[in-house]
Amino acid sequence: MTLLQTEGLTKRFGGLVAVDHVDLGIERGETRAIIGPNGAGKSTCINLITGLLEPTEGTVTFDSEDITHLEPYETVQRGMAKSFQTASIFPSMTVEENVKIAAFAAEHGSFQLNFLRDREKFPAVNAVVDEMLGAVQLSDSRDLEVGSLPYGDKRRLEIAIALAAEPELLLMDEPTAGMSPEETQSTVDLVEDLQEELGLTIVLVEHDMEIIFRVADRITVLNRGSVIAEGSPDEVQGDPQVQEAYLGGVEL
Amino acid sequence: MSEAPTDTAAAEGPARTDGGTVTASDAGGSGTALERLVELSKRESVVVIGSAIALLALPVLLIDVLGFVSTLLFGSTKLAGYEGLSALVLAFAIAVIGFDILLGYTELLSFGHAAFFGVAAYTAGIVSTQVSANPLVMVFIGIVVTAPLAVVIGFLSIRRSGVYFAVLTLTFGQMLYFYALGPGAWLTGGANGLTDLQADPLFGFALSDTLQDIYFDMTGSLLLDVPFARLSVEYLLLAAFTLAAIWLAYRIINSPYGLILSAIGENEQRVDFVGLDVFRYKLMAFVISAMFAGAGGALFAVHERIAGIYPGTLYWITSGDFVIMAVLGGTGSIAGPFLGALVFEYISNVVSSLSFVLFTGPLKGIFGEFTLNFGSIWRLVLGGVFVLVVAKFPDGIRGAISSAVEAADGRLTGSGGGGSAADSEVDVDPDPEPETDGGATERPASRDEETGGERR
Ligand SMILES: Nc1ncnc2c1ncn2[C@@H]1O[C@H](COP(=O)(O)OP(=O)(O)OP(=O)(O)O)[C@@H](O)[C@H]1O
Ligand SMILES: [Mg+2]
Repeated sequence: MTLLQTEGLTKRFGGLVAVDHVDLGIERGETRAIIGPNGAGKSTCINLITGLLEPTEGTVTFDSEDITHLEPYETVQRGMAKSFQTASIFPSMTVEENVKIAAFAAEHGSFQLNFLRDREKFPAVNAVVDEMLGAVQLSDSRDLEVGSLPYGDKRRLEIAIALAAEPELLLMDEPTAGMSPEETQSTVDLVEDLQEELGLTIVLVEHDMEIIFRVADRITVLNRGSVIAEGSPDEVQGDPQVQEAYLGGVEL
Repeated sequence: MSEAPTDTAAAEGPARTDGGTVTASDAGGSGTALERLVELSKRESVVVIGSAIALLALPVLLIDVLGFVSTLLFGSTKLAGYEGLSALVLAFAIAVIGFDILLGYTELLSFGHAAFFGVAAYTAGIVSTQVSANPLVMVFIGIVVTAPLAVVIGFLSIRRSGVYFAVLTLTFGQMLYFYALGPGAWLTGGANGLTDLQADPLFGFALSDTLQDIYFDMTGSLLLDVPFARLSVEYLLLAAFTLAAIWLAYRIINSPYGLILSAIGENEQRVDFVGLDVFRYKLMAFVISAMFAGAGGALFAVHERIAGIYPGTLYWITSGDFVIMAVLGGTGSIAGPFLGALVFEYISNVVSSLSFVLFTGPLKGIFGEFTLNFGSIWRLVLGGVFVLVVAKFPDGIRGAISSAVEAADGRLTGSGGGGSAADSEVDVDPDPEPETDGGATERPASRDEETGGERR
């Protein structure tokens, strides 16, 4: 069953067509990789889906609901979460507080008037925080200020924040960018765990083909805003157009 | 995990958890005597009781303590505050405590909070002659009126951020100022002010009565002449509201709400992307802070019932004063705004009345007598104080005090004398086990930081 569907999704910035009539159908439970050279429109595509950018044309349907014109907080409340290409966190707060904010949003909805109750006294929220910190192995750092964390930990915290929103669909924009090989390894392990344990649907923008072959069920290849190929990793790798546009480049 | 990064200065002492650099404040529940004290001072009961005591002591500090110091220095009490100053400080403190929920936590800089302060002051004044002169009714209606006003102004301003937000709020404030001055003069008295405010006794006691008076009326005998006996009913009314404001602010800051507001201040887009409606949270913060300003304004009207209410309460300079008080005292706290209001009002009311005779004695023969008058230049004095404090301590007076306390504590424990030093040595260590996972990272924390996000 299709969880996410875009139809004719287009975004123009002035004369530049960053995303050009993209039809993307993501099945429930699948892990989809989106690849393409720099500037292909991958991040823009994600931003259109999450509601950060308003599409010039086209529609986005999530769980049979038209979400084209919703704000990010509304799409998150409906069950999609995003981890950012560069860690987007709350640097002067502790690890625990970072995750807690997302947990409040998941437990209490987009707005609530509970401004007189001690924030430690929400057991359901604390449970979510514990679980997510455990999932990304940051439980022992929970009281540290986030700004002082090593880069890899920040990126995993970023993922924990996204997970604390309790999403059905997780959009990850280059989750391993800037990571060391060991950090990359543990992040890929994490993604595999998420697939197995939580049954999450994942859309992953990634440059590293090794990672993609390990975790992706299907691959969509973007080039200059358009989908030029889609299929299983093996099919895509053999596609001459992809070779030309992407695999033939210096990236690999 | 044996190798610890040794390049950072912080990597001494107990800082050997993996990866992240440990700052001194991370040392968990237990710690030095000072840390325990700081921990204690965050408890709700301690905050409320401590504030109550401080509020009762404030007039004593302003009048008696400063009077004593001043007498020592100058042979007169010219540095002492006066009866009404403490009440004035409280009216502004309430407004600034609320203002800081917006500035210090949500990081929204409003330049129009005089609108709420002034409208509530006028409302309380008008209520006192038209509806009820019960001070509680005046204040209650004053606060209630600010809420819808804040919803409208906030709704129209909050979609913009930064300078645009500041200028929009400024504009709304100025619109109300000019309305009060001109077209609304039938209601406000225009430039002549709203005078003849009424104020009934509160629970049977006139606002100007002191505890001494009340005691005398009831028993026919005098209380001992202790400073507390001079507290007036008016001051106690303001102190009660201040205590309520402190408690409310404490509750808000420690609720999920406070966490979310701080998060908005730090990274608004991320808050959006965890599924929270940033606009509504900001609007609520705006309305809450406006209602605090309203409480301050209405109480200001009670305090100024004899002098009257003038359009200056709505003027942009009043808005600017809130900003100065908050930053001077230290944003992002409750104590900061309070201290800011205290120092601001002290300078504006006491220092401004100072005059010094220069060139006494033989010099007088040469230069003639010259009197240095602070009157109109109190803003210059204030500006100097502001620059000195804020340049050195970004967290304002509160920051200055806490670093002074830390320095004193450091000297105490550093010299190795007394039990507290021994305590700290035993207590700092008790989380010796470095984490064993924390990711496969073995590198120093200070590595590529934010810039590392780009592909290489
Ligand atoms: N806000 C914007 N305004 C104008 N042009 C933009 C904007 N955002 C993206 N673009 C342009 O749209 C195109 C697609 O950008 P996008 O960031 O989606 O690429 P990408 O595939 O994510 O690339 P990368 O691999 O470098 O992250 C680029 O040419 C970019 O310069
Ligand atoms: Mg990108």
